[in-house]
Amino acid sequence: MQIIIDGKKIDAVYGDTILETCRKADIYIPTLCYHEAFGGQGRCRLCMVELEKEGQKKMVAACTYPITEKIEVRTSTPLIKKTRRNIIMLLYKRAPNSLLLQKLFREYECQDNSLKEDPAERCILCNLCVQACQEIGSNAISLIMRGTDKRVASPYDEASEACTGCGACALICPTAAIEMVEEGNKRSIWNKTFELLACERCGKLYTTKEQWEFTAKKNNACASDRQLCESCRKKAVAEKIKAYQAAEH
Amino acid sequence: MKMENHKFRKILVCCGTGCLANGSMDVFQALKENLDPDSGIEVETYVKATGCNGWCEQGPLVKIMPDDITYCHVKASDVKEVIEKTIKNGELIKRLLYRDPQSKKRFKSHHEIDFYKKQHKIALRHIGEIDPASISDYLSCGGYQALQKAVGMQAAEIVSQIIDSGLRGRGGAGFPTGLKWQSCARQENSPKYVICNGDEGDPGAFMDRSIMEGDPHTVIEGMIICALAIGAEKGFIYVRDEYALAIQNLKQALADARSFGYLGDDIMGRDFFFDIEIVRGGGAFVCGEETALIASIEGNIGEPRDKYVFPTEKGLWGKPTVINNVETWANIPVIILEGAENFASIGTDHSKGTKVFSLVGKVMNTGLVEVPMGTTLREIIYDIGGGILKGRQFKAVQTGGPSGGCIPAELLDLPVDFESLAAAGSMMGSGGLIVMDDRTCMVEVARYYLNFLAGESCGKCVPCREGIRRMLEILTRICEGQGKEGDLELLEELGETLQIASLCALGKTAPNPVLSTIRYFRDEYLAHIREHRCPAGVCRKLTEFYIDPELCNGCGLCKKNCPVNAISGEKKEPHVISQELCIRCGDCINNCPFLAVKVK
Amino acid sequence: MAVDINQIQEKIHVIIYAYPGEKRYILAMMQDLQKICNYLPREGLELIAEHTGVAFSEIYSLATFYKAFSLVPRGKYNIKVCDGTACHIKGSAVIIDQVFNSLGIKPGETTEDGLFSLETVNCLGACAIAPVLMVNEKIYPKVSSSGLLDIIKAYGGHVHEDGKS
Repeated sequence: MQIIIDGKKIDAVYGDTILETCRKADIYIPTLCYHEAFGGQGRCRLCMVELEKEGQKKMVAACTYPITEKIEVRTSTPLIKKTRRNIIMLLYKRAPNSLLLQKLFREYECQDNSLKEDPAERCILCNLCVQACQEIGSNAISLIMRGTDKRVASPYDEASEACTGCGACALICPTAAIEMVEEGNKRSIWNKTFELLACERCGKLYTTKEQWEFTAKKNNACASDRQLCESCRKKAVAEKIKAYQAAEH
Repeated sequence: MKMENHKFRKILVCCGTGCLANGSMDVFQALKENLDPDSGIEVETYVKATGCNGWCEQGPLVKIMPDDITYCHVKASDVKEVIEKTIKNGELIKRLLYRDPQSKKRFKSHHEIDFYKKQHKIALRHIGEIDPASISDYLSCGGYQALQKAVGMQAAEIVSQIIDSGLRGRGGAGFPTGLKWQSCARQENSPKYVICNGDEGDPGAFMDRSIMEGDPHTVIEGMIICALAIGAEKGFIYVRDEYALAIQNLKQALADARSFGYLGDDIMGRDFFFDIEIVRGGGAFVCGEETALIASIEGNIGEPRDKYVFPTEKGLWGKPTVINNVETWANIPVIILEGAENFASIGTDHSKGTKVFSLVGKVMNTGLVEVPMGTTLREIIYDIGGGILKGRQFKAVQTGGPSGGCIPAELLDLPVDFESLAAAGSMMGSGGLIVMDDRTCMVEVARYYLNFLAGESCGKCVPCREGIRRMLEILTRICEGQGKEGDLELLEELGETLQIASLCALGKTAPNPVLSTIRYFRDEYLAHIREHRCPAGVCRKLTEFYIDPELCNGCGLCKKNCPVNAISGEKKEPHVISQELCIRCGDCINNCPFLAVKVK
Repeated sequence: MAVDINQIQEKIHVIIYAYPGEKRYILAMMQDLQKICNYLPREGLELIAEHTGVAFSEIYSLATFYKAFSLVPRGKYNIKVCDGTACHIKGSAVIIDQVFNSLGIKPGETTEDGLFSLETVNCLGACAIAPVLMVNEKIYPKVSSSGLLDIIKAYGGHVHEDGKS
């Protein structure tokens, strides 16, 4: 089906969100809580766009609005710009030491004001870390409390049995808010310290013991499988294939 | 005064929360004990604990039928006299009758009193008249007849009756109920669900509680009729866990409805199955929002989702779902039984029927009132409510709870309906009417609501979570005398972003209490910011109370009440407040019969 | 009142397993659990996770989202001051302060002797008799600063005459 975005006719798939459609058509809409792997959450509201339907205008979140009929979308009006600027300002005031927000604050030409800043905060509660942890299957962290007290934590802020120290949460975090410290063969994250395993082949410290066991269990591997880092694993597979091909000939 | 002598007397003891807190259970027990069959009373008696009569100010209330006597402020110690005089002999006890404070006249029946005369009861029609725990009481006043009628109707006919009645949701936004049902009825997906939203969370509103406690069957009957119309087979009533009595009465009512064949298999002899389950809420205001409520029933945290696809299409467990509020459900049987036209003849062009309000705050007759849509605020506050307490000045009335706004004195003649309230910058909400006088600080009221919302926001979306927090930060500093020039503009700017970008209605309407008070009470804000003064004497850092020696006659009431002994003075001499000791609690100013305590 | 969890472990088990092990019964399990323990003990939450197969982090998320639940034991007498709008404009903030002055506890806290804890609630639905407070299940209507001191004394709280303990 066809819809109109910023005056241009765009092909859209029924049921796709406005954001997905725009990304395919190379139309830029800013987001902070969106990741292709998880779909739209509607948390950060940075992707607000103006929608016109049967002569009525309204503002909607592009990441959750499904296209099911002929609509016209505008992705950048003065009101949208102002709304995005205020959202950035609010997030900057929450996490003023986040480099990403400092950059956005400048890009969106936000005005400073008298609101207080929290120098210790970096998290913007986009929930991507929780989604990543769920996706992996650990479910070690979650959103706790509510309202202005809401935050991401492991239960009781203690070392969680479920956490394997894989670090996916820290990797996906857009504001580097999750502290993952590595010293020697130890990795600390979410109040828990892990022992890092060395690759049997190249000796690089590449994963935690818990993570290796977790993946091995998930993949039905047996304990005799070798502990290899990613690049060595690829090499090992390539060698196996070569050897197989050689035997064939 | 000697009354007609009856052979049978029904004694209705109000056991709504207000009366219970004032000791009505003791009165009920005393009546029960003293009226046992062996007590030798010739009159046959029947004592019932009823739901809330709404007139909480005068509780505990005891009504005696068929004499139609209403006794106010009844204590357990009055019971012997009530039995001896009224129940045995039909004699009136004058001191227990309501006395109008102005005319000093006493009234025998509550029907003669202004508080009730201007009311029109539909949703509350049975409450106070029946024993909520008895299905036969409900049946004896026409209960389940609407269902009987609906069973003989086509599903589409039921839906069109509700559409034609013009009934709009009583929980807040006022979406046309019939259209909701129609949209859900058209869905092919099954199973379908019917939900009753009893997560009454607006601070200052308690009509849903009263209906669930006082007339649970009407809610159940409304839900069954909806299930019949849309083809649902399962219903849920989501109730606040704090409402213990409501849960107890609903449970009893569900069990009775099942045993009478109104729920379960083959309802009323038709091939129609429907049952209802109670879900107890966990205490979250945001769960009043449909999608958050659904999330909560599913066992998730109450985070709403964008409603670009309505619950009528994808609701509970992704299935078509109708959610209506308690008061909405209570209207359904009446519409079906008496016809859509009848219902639509009440109210205004776009707001049909009646609305229940909880009239509270600084008004004489606090309680629950039900009036036709379009009744003016003045009629509700002055005619029904009896005006402002202690002769103080009316300042504003807050409608719509944390999503609503404050309406000033110049708009007292505003007819109360969905459109007029929205145009005034407020909203209907669930129907709290909180009357405020000159002792209420509008800046502090706005701060109060934002503080409430800061704790009740689910925290999912940025505008609501961060925006409310920042608006609260600004309001708090204004209340503490640290306000800055430009604060009001910043509040307005943030308010607009919240209205536009928030995910759900909680965030979208959160700025209303702030924006409406800035709109109507800008001067009061400026007094705080520029003069560091709280004209109402509420913001403690900006308040100093003093006693006007001209007005003080030294009665000593303030001195007696002061919890920190900050007031000194001899009897019949003007008293003085020590500013060092005073904690600005306001007990003195609130209790001074001569209005001699002033705010600097 | 703190309950010895070890003594009621069996009871906790019975309460939780009274419901099918489905996600939608988690709230009900927690409510029943809190009714007997007066808070949500960790052992109980772990059992709920085990019974329903829902991740413990998610159970913890639920327990902290809903305001009805407490993760720490409450006092023998739980004072709930209603801070609904009607109560607020009739002075509930003063009552909350007055509890602090006389017992030294803020909302969410418990006295050292475990006798009293204080919480504020949004609305008890008793607006017509505002301001109200509840001590355990009993509702007190139209409470004043001075009336509050009498209520505290009635439950064995020590209050100095000037309202300060």
